[in-house]
Amino acid sequence: MDKIKSKEIVFFGKITAGITHEIKNVLAIIQESSGLMEDILAITPDETFPRKDKFHTSLKRIFGQIDRGVNITTRLNKFAHSPDHSPADVDLNEVSEQMVLLASRFARLKNVVVEADPHDAPMIIHTHPVALEMTLFESIEILLNALNSGGKIRLYPRKIQDRYVFGVCYEGPIPSRADVSPAVSSSGRWESLQETMAYLGGTAKAFDSALEILLYFPRSINP
Amino acid sequence: MLQLKVLLVDDEQEFVTTLAERLELRGMDVEIATDGEMALGLVETDPPQVVVLDVMMPGLGGMEVLERVKAVDSNIQVILLTGHGGTKDGIKGMQLGAFDYLIKPVDIDELIEKLNEAAKNVL
Repeated sequence: MDKIKSKEIVFFGKITAGITHEIKNVLAIIQESSGLMEDILAITPDETFPRKDKFHTSLKRIFGQIDRGVNITTRLNKFAHSPDHSPADVDLNEVSEQMVLLASRFARLKNVVVEADPHDAPMIIHTHPVALEMTLFESIEILLNALNSGGKIRLYPRKIQDRYVFGVCYEGPIPSRADVSPAVSSSGRWESLQETMAYLGGTAKAFDSALEILLYFPRSINP
Repeated sequence: MLQLKVLLVDDEQEFVTTLAERLELRGMDVEIATDGEMALGLVETDPPQVVVLDVMMPGLGGMEVLERVKAVDSNIQVILLTGHGGTKDGIKGMQLGAFDYLIKPVDIDELIEKLNEAAKNVL
């Protein structure tokens, strides 16, 4: 059964990665078509084109959305390739930036911004990439469930002595402790997070009052 | 100054025709091919100075086309267009003789800069 589950995940990733290539091609065509419009606009005299500024504004908006789309598909592609090799070397700094994009939509529903605060040096650990991403996403979800609305969640991987720690911290209006405690460390999601961390050979600690979760990872899942 | 002759190769017809129009507006002489075989035919009959070549194409893939272009005329410069696996494919292509690589979608100014740089390497 586990073997089938693993195959399902790899299959899911492969198809998703393939589709991101297709989406990128669509974006490339939109970019070139709108770029051509801009080129033609540039050689068209102003007096023959009364609303030229409106066209420029719209084109600028289209270019902005293309950049956004490219960024999303690039991240999604990377995520879809996560199950390709497991365990694998993973840079926690890169994962923090990856998670910003993957979790932002969920956070936005609570008016929360997710931000990456990478360490100043690479933080490479040998682990299962999908399970690692799950732990980060679960941590963000736990905090989102515990808080009211607004503020930001900061993702900060750090190396403390020989330990690789990934901090997920909420910064914003903190609800009362009575509301937060059940929502964080006594929630069903917390158990799920602990279970995944144990699978990765790590541990999770919650600081209810500060709405902060620290995830401790071993340097290698296969020491 | 001689007109730069470019061959654009990509299986996405709309992408390649629009990009060709943009380069033509900038004074370049552009041919297009929507598959590897077509591209190799044009390289034989009407050789360009620079080929802009998509890596992921059905049939003959970009890397194979690159090798065959270089076998026909090593003087022709090739710029690869890569997808998500940009750096990996780009480095592999450069080891096979590509001048450089760009990640799709391409920025037109960056492409023109690369085309001009590549053209300087044509003997």
